[in-house]
Amino acid sequence: MKKWLSFKRQQPEYRVKLDVFEGPLDLLLYLIEQAEIDIYDIPIAYITEEYLAYLRNVELDDFHQAGNFLIMASTLMQIKARMLLPAPPRLEEETGEEEDDPRWELVEKLLEYRKIKKAAALLGEYEEKWSRFYSRSGGAFPDRECETPADPVGDLTLWDLVQAFKSLLESLTPRFEVEGMPQEEPSVQEMMEKILSRLGQKSPLPFSALFAELTSRKMMVTSFLAVLELIIRQKIKVRQDVLFGEIEIFRAEEGHRETG
Amino acid sequence: MRLGKIKGIIEALIFASSEPVSLREIAEILKIHEATAGELVEELKEEYEKNRRGIQIVQVAGGYHFVTNPDYAEFVRKMKKVPRQAPLSQAALETLAVIAYKQPVTRAEIEALRGVKVESSLNTLLERGLIEEKGRKEGPGRPILYVTSSYFLRHFGLNDLNELPKVEDPADNLSTEVIINAE
Repeated sequence: MKKWLSFKRQQPEYRVKLDVFEGPLDLLLYLIEQAEIDIYDIPIAYITEEYLAYLRNVELDDFHQAGNFLIMASTLMQIKARMLLPAPPRLEEETGEEEDDPRWELVEKLLEYRKIKKAAALLGEYEEKWSRFYSRSGGAFPDRECETPADPVGDLTLWDLVQAFKSLLESLTPRFEVEGMPQEEPSVQEMMEKILSRLGQKSPLPFSALFAELTSRKMMVTSFLAVLELIIRQKIKVRQDVLFGEIEIFRAEEGHRETG
Repeated sequence: MRLGKIKGIIEALIFASSEPVSLREIAEILKIHEATAGELVEELKEEYEKNRRGIQIVQVAGGYHFVTNPDYAEFVRKMKKVPRQAPLSQAALETLAVIAYKQPVTRAEIEALRGVKVESSLNTLLERGLIEEKGRKEGPGRPILYVTSSYFLRHFGLNDLNELPKVEDPADNLSTEVIINAE
């Protein structure tokens, strides 16, 4: 192992990515394990040197990550400095040495991190093992479903919908009532229910039909928001068979899964 | 009702649900004792296992669930429609391990233990539904607390959090004391 580290020192051009390590604790653990050092009695001068040597040869391209590694470097140097100072005279002999050891806090962190690493490795094994079990519908694994999401809008983009909505607004302008008339103003939620119940009677519906009876700009906007919300919740799907043709809206089939 | 029929109904219930079905639910529907339901499910489970059937019943996330026989996974994977899922990264697994064993836990606490920023792995885990936010910690800034979700159990094939792998270490103080999410 020492060979490996000194090899790098001789060839400063050789660049290693920090990504190999999950963080400064991971790197430190690696160096300690490589040198077969007792974690409870770390030769801090030696390990600091190894740590810094490693950092010198590494690409610090991710600043957040680099910061984490540098903080650890300064911690190490601080500990090293404190170890060089004579211990303050003790009044009572009985207090354990460990509490006073400037290394102790770091050792605790390393021990704790080592357990996390072990736990993570075990979880990884469980994950691997369990990936061999497929559920009946695939519906039992939400994130597996995400891999092939039910595509509610097909090739349509949000922009297509906005365009359709915009031209509707323009074409329907004359129908708007005089401003200032008191209007019944349903919420987006109410509008969503209304749209769903309409689709329950007839599906698919042309996009424009949803707005046909509306008489205020505000209500049209509410309806449009309701359509978008329903798409997000995968309750409805939209489709445009012909380019620039009428956009059709229909109910997503899987109604039974939404009860959960 | 004959026992065979009850067993058939239980089979139907487990099959029809996309989520694990708890014994309590089975017992309620059939108006039988949970213990009886448990025995019948176990019998059913054994029948599937004994005959090396393509599907099996497993106990996961506090309920019973139909899954394919892991021995046949290679074949199932050959089907185009079965989505393959990338395993979690080392970083995500470490963050998840901290949350699983220490929950509820704040971001700062996870970062202190891992010694790195964990924002992106937290986001990954939230997106994949493996963890969720559960209230806020009292104190400065009232930081968000994170816990594992019930889907976490299913993803790792655990029945409950007590089944988390035990991490043995001479100086073991990685607390395995966990709270189980109330449904």
